[in-house]
Amino acid sequence: MAETHVPRGGRVRLATVDGDLTVGAHARIEVEGRLVVGGTASFDGSSDVRGSMECREFISEDGTVTIAGDLTVHGDLKSHDGAIDVHGALTARRVDVDRGLRIEGPAKADRFEVGGVLEGAQTLLAERVSVGGRFRLGGKLEAQSVEAGGSVDLQEVAIETLEVGGAIRIGGGEVRRSIEVGGRFVAEGPLSFGSLDVGGFAELRDSAKGGSIDVGGVFSAAKDLAFEDLAIGGIGRIGGSAQGRDLDVGGKFDVRGNFTLTGTVDVGGAISVGEAFVGARLEVGGKLEARRAVFSDSIEIGGAAVTREGLKAAIVRLHHRSKVQGPIVGTEVQLERGSRAEDVYGMRVEVRERCEVRRVVAAEVRVHRDATVGEVLFSGSADIAPGARVMRGPQKVEPLPPFPL
Amino acid sequence: MLNGREGSGTPRRREATDLYATVLEVVKRYHGAARITRVSYGAGMPVDRLRSLVERLVSLGLLKTEDLDGRPVYDITPRGQEFLSTYWKMRGFIEVLEANPEDRISRRRG
Repeated sequence: MAETHVPRGGRVRLATVDGDLTVGAHARIEVEGRLVVGGTASFDGSSDVRGSMECREFISEDGTVTIAGDLTVHGDLKSHDGAIDVHGALTARRVDVDRGLRIEGPAKADRFEVGGVLEGAQTLLAERVSVGGRFRLGGKLEAQSVEAGGSVDLQEVAIETLEVGGAIRIGGGEVRRSIEVGGRFVAEGPLSFGSLDVGGFAELRDSAKGGSIDVGGVFSAAKDLAFEDLAIGGIGRIGGSAQGRDLDVGGKFDVRGNFTLTGTVDVGGAISVGEAFVGARLEVGGKLEARRAVFSDSIEIGGAAVTREGLKAAIVRLHHRSKVQGPIVGTEVQLERGSRAEDVYGMRVEVRERCEVRRVVAAEVRVHRDATVGEVLFSGSADIAPGARVMRGPQKVEPLPPFPL
Repeated sequence: MLNGREGSGTPRRREATDLYATVLEVVKRYHGAARITRVSYGAGMPVDRLRSLVERLVSLGLLKTEDLDGRPVYDITPRGQEFLSTYWKMRGFIEVLEANPEDRISRRRG
């Protein structure tokens, strides 16, 4: 097959090339209708193609090749140490560009591999997208896997996996399996995801729904959030209501609305819930604040808890020197040595040494020596140790006054 | 890319640790086959400057190198991964700690 050659700096007008096309640097090709190259189009340095182009393979070396229209490559597009600028749509089987690729129209390929910068103004459809540096897209992205080393700015997404080294901002959409971000993750619109793993800072500015969330540093959700497991290494806040299974927070966590969990809550630091906090098991090492906290199995407070309406679980245990403000309600309530509480309601309530409690209302009450209780009301038995101080009572009442919550 | 505090005023100057993290993140994307030119495009850094930075990362055990078709390629080590995860965690906290106090006040008032 004949080869057509455009010399360095050449100006030509082409419509059809049967065989291969080789183009020297700084050439300009005027296109009659659409340039169709039967073989491989090779560019050595920067050149302009002033119209749409179609070829079997596309290779460029150094410089920037500009295609003023659409570029259709039936096989692979490859640029070594170069960049490609397509003013129209791009279609290829596999795209491998070292420096940069800019596409103003829709783009479609099995794989996009770009070393430096990938910028698209419209939609991009691919099996796999891998960008060493920066990736920006103005339209919808549909792909199986997306990877970028640097920063990523996307609009709507429908992808399986997303892995970004630096920072990413997405408009919203769906990431069916996993999102892994080294640095900073921001979702502007509603988002659904399989899992979210962010090293530094994650911010969900609209409602979101997903599986496990693991954030090393700071997590923020402006609206409602649904999840399975949420683990925050540092600080977290949810502006709306949240529901999920398990929660593990290392530092501080705030939820403005209701917080409903079906599993275990472990807070190493402090948690604040503006409305009701509901779950199965709760352990707080630091401080809990909520309008009410109702857990089906157990609540263990290592530090302090403050509620307006109360704290309720089958088993409530206040650890050594912990402090609770607001009513406590439990089938079994244990106040360990030196802990302090206000009103305590239960079937069985045990107040150990050096505890201070305002009022105990229970079927069975046991108060250890050196403990101080303002008032004891009981319906079954009251075991008050010598040396315990009970200011009023113990008084047997039948039935017991109604419990809160 | 890794050098700004997006949406919160003046960009932070890139420190050496930011450059290390940038390079490690780009190398990580190539799954053991990162060539120096590709990393240079990804990290937005000239090859000569990148080469000395990469050598330092190799000497610190954060990157490892081997020959592929007669050319050196780079991959991140477990120690490099550890550096990245610690770096990003710390950056998350720094972002909160360095947030403009006036922004915080206006948010509180709002």
